[in-house]
Amino acid sequence: MAAEQVISMKQVCKSYQMGAEKLNVLKKIDFTVNKGEFTAILGPSGSGKSTLMNIIGCMDTMDSGSYELNSIPIHAAKEKELTKIRNQEIGFIFQNYHLIPTYTVMQNIIMPLLMRGKDRKTAEKECEEVISMLGLAERLRHKPSELSGGQRQRVAIARALCSKPSLLLADEPTGALDQNSGTEVLKLFTKLHEMGNTIVMITHDMNVAKWAQRTVRIVDGEMFEEN
Amino acid sequence: MRFSEILNLVKLNLIQNKFKVLLTSIGIIVGAATIVIVIAVGRGGKADVAEQFRNLNAGALDISYEQAQDSGGFSFRGSRPGGSSGESSGRPSFQGGEAAAFSGNIPDFSGKKPESSSGESSRGGGGFFSGFNNMFGGIFGSSDTKNTERITLSDEDMEDITSYVPGLSDATISYTTKQNIYGGNIEETESYTVAGTLSNYADLSNLTMLFGDYLSDADNENKTKVCVLGYSAAKQIFGSAEEAYDSLVYIDDRPYTVGGVLAEQGTVEAGISADDAIFIPYATGIKYLTGSDISPTITVIAADVDNIEAVRENVKTVLAASYPNAEFTISDAGSKMEAANKSNETLTLMLIAMASIVFIIGGIGIMNVLFVSVKERTEEIGILKAIGGSRKDILLEFIMEACFISLIGGIIGVLVSFVINPVLSGFSIRTEMSVSGAVLALAFSIVTGTVFGFYPAWKASKLVPVEALSSE
Repeated sequence: MAAEQVISMKQVCKSYQMGAEKLNVLKKIDFTVNKGEFTAILGPSGSGKSTLMNIIGCMDTMDSGSYELNSIPIHAAKEKELTKIRNQEIGFIFQNYHLIPTYTVMQNIIMPLLMRGKDRKTAEKECEEVISMLGLAERLRHKPSELSGGQRQRVAIARALCSKPSLLLADEPTGALDQNSGTEVLKLFTKLHEMGNTIVMITHDMNVAKWAQRTVRIVDGEMFEEN
Repeated sequence: MRFSEILNLVKLNLIQNKFKVLLTSIGIIVGAATIVIVIAVGRGGKADVAEQFRNLNAGALDISYEQAQDSGGFSFRGSRPGGSSGESSGRPSFQGGEAAAFSGNIPDFSGKKPESSSGESSRGGGGFFSGFNNMFGGIFGSSDTKNTERITLSDEDMEDITSYVPGLSDATISYTTKQNIYGGNIEETESYTVAGTLSNYADLSNLTMLFGDYLSDADNENKTKVCVLGYSAAKQIFGSAEEAYDSLVYIDDRPYTVGGVLAEQGTVEAGISADDAIFIPYATGIKYLTGSDISPTITVIAADVDNIEAVRENVKTVLAASYPNAEFTISDAGSKMEAANKSNETLTLMLIAMASIVFIIGGIGIMNVLFVSVKERTEEIGILKAIGGSRKDILLEFIMEACFISLIGGIIGVLVSFVINPVLSGFSIRTEMSVSGAVLALAFSIVTGTVFGFYPAWKASKLVPVEALSSE
């Protein structure tokens, strides 16, 4: 029986107009991710990996090609649908955490559920397990500025997890962390993978990519499968 | 996202930016305070007008005569011709005043102001005089010959009017004069307004008595030395209204019995200020105080207020028959009230326009701050959009922020207006604060916030998540 595909990209192209010059950032990318896979997209700066992540995360559009996320045709989706997909299907983990500085840890974590229309109490209840797993129970009333980098990234992971997405999309998740904290986060990713989560991690660091079950390399907008 | 959760986020943002909220809402604070004060001043003005005119009957017409100033050179200035036949002469022609034509005095060509012999005898035919004037009118122009005579309106003129003008319910005649008074607690004589009135003056002017009775017809006929004191006059002369009643007051060194004291009437815009005046019988005043040197005002009451213009025209016609070269000033209380109310409304409108400008400036202030806020919070907007925040959520959040900033400004503004109000009273500006004024100010504040907050909110909602996230 064929594995269930979470991501299915075919011939995806993306270019930017830089003055008179057209810059082809992604060149006919074919990329699939099966359910439960932990995939690393490895590439140097300027290779097009962030652009690919934005397209996978439904935050940017492609010029041509097709992209299905859990069989939903993203290439044909309207802004309103993309918003819903971002909320329900994707959990984002950013390099710079992207936590809202004026909100507490709890307010940051439950935000995707509030966006979904849930009330505060229900959202908090649904996040209890994730909070406990990530060891954030003591920090819920703190502001992000009162936390260490590793703790902030754990808050970002908690926010991504609590909406129970079909895909965890991590952009350089250890990029802003020291080695110990980075290792902690990667161990957490491994644990989440073992729990059955589908993870796509973008990194420029080979050592980080090694933690993934599968690595694809992106160079000058073209994708190669690593052996 | 639930609306209650959006409100929670708004609350969170406002609490964390208290000082910014306060600074942003300054324009709205000023605007709201202005609106409340403007409405209070407008209402105060209206109440003032109503109070000042409350003693006036809306159907009342005041008829008075003002002699033209000597223009120098060749002019006619003559007394209202008197003469023994005055009773029958000077009647309007439709009454059969044909004898009037030659019964008047010869006009004084010297330009010297001749005096009438007395109030009673001053009445006379104006026919010769008017005919003479008419003759010259063609040469010198009618405007030069108007109001050159000295005319003293009399109770006979009033009788003419009441006899020939239909649709009148009542009429009276009165005059005022300044006289030296002493008595009671006054040690040195003081000047007071003394009004010579008939017995029906109190009813026509809606005057109410505190003690005693108003002047009677018998007082007038017998020229009794009796008076009625205005409330303030009684207090000033005797210390209290009660003490004034039945006491003696000296007017031009003659003793008058205080037969009554008026209840407090308040300030008046037109007519006699009743609180400060001393009322005596019409004929008594002429006999003992003024002689014929008075400028009485005849007041007639139109039975139907809507008919007042017809009454005015008829009064003119009747008076023109007696005084063909005179133009009388006929003013009605309704017009005065209307004019006062109109000027009050104009002032209110002007102040509202000013408040609106303040609101617009306040609104632009809010818009500016929100634009800066959107710029500052671009990353936050990007995060919210990345995790599934819809355009509607972002739009609502920013609009609600603008609304609450302006609502807070509005509430502070209303409170400020309650602080300013007593200060205005200190400057003798009458204000009447109202709930409707406060509600209107709050409504204006919210509308301003919403209108001016919309564009920045819309811009925020249109941000592309990937661009917003990379904005730092």
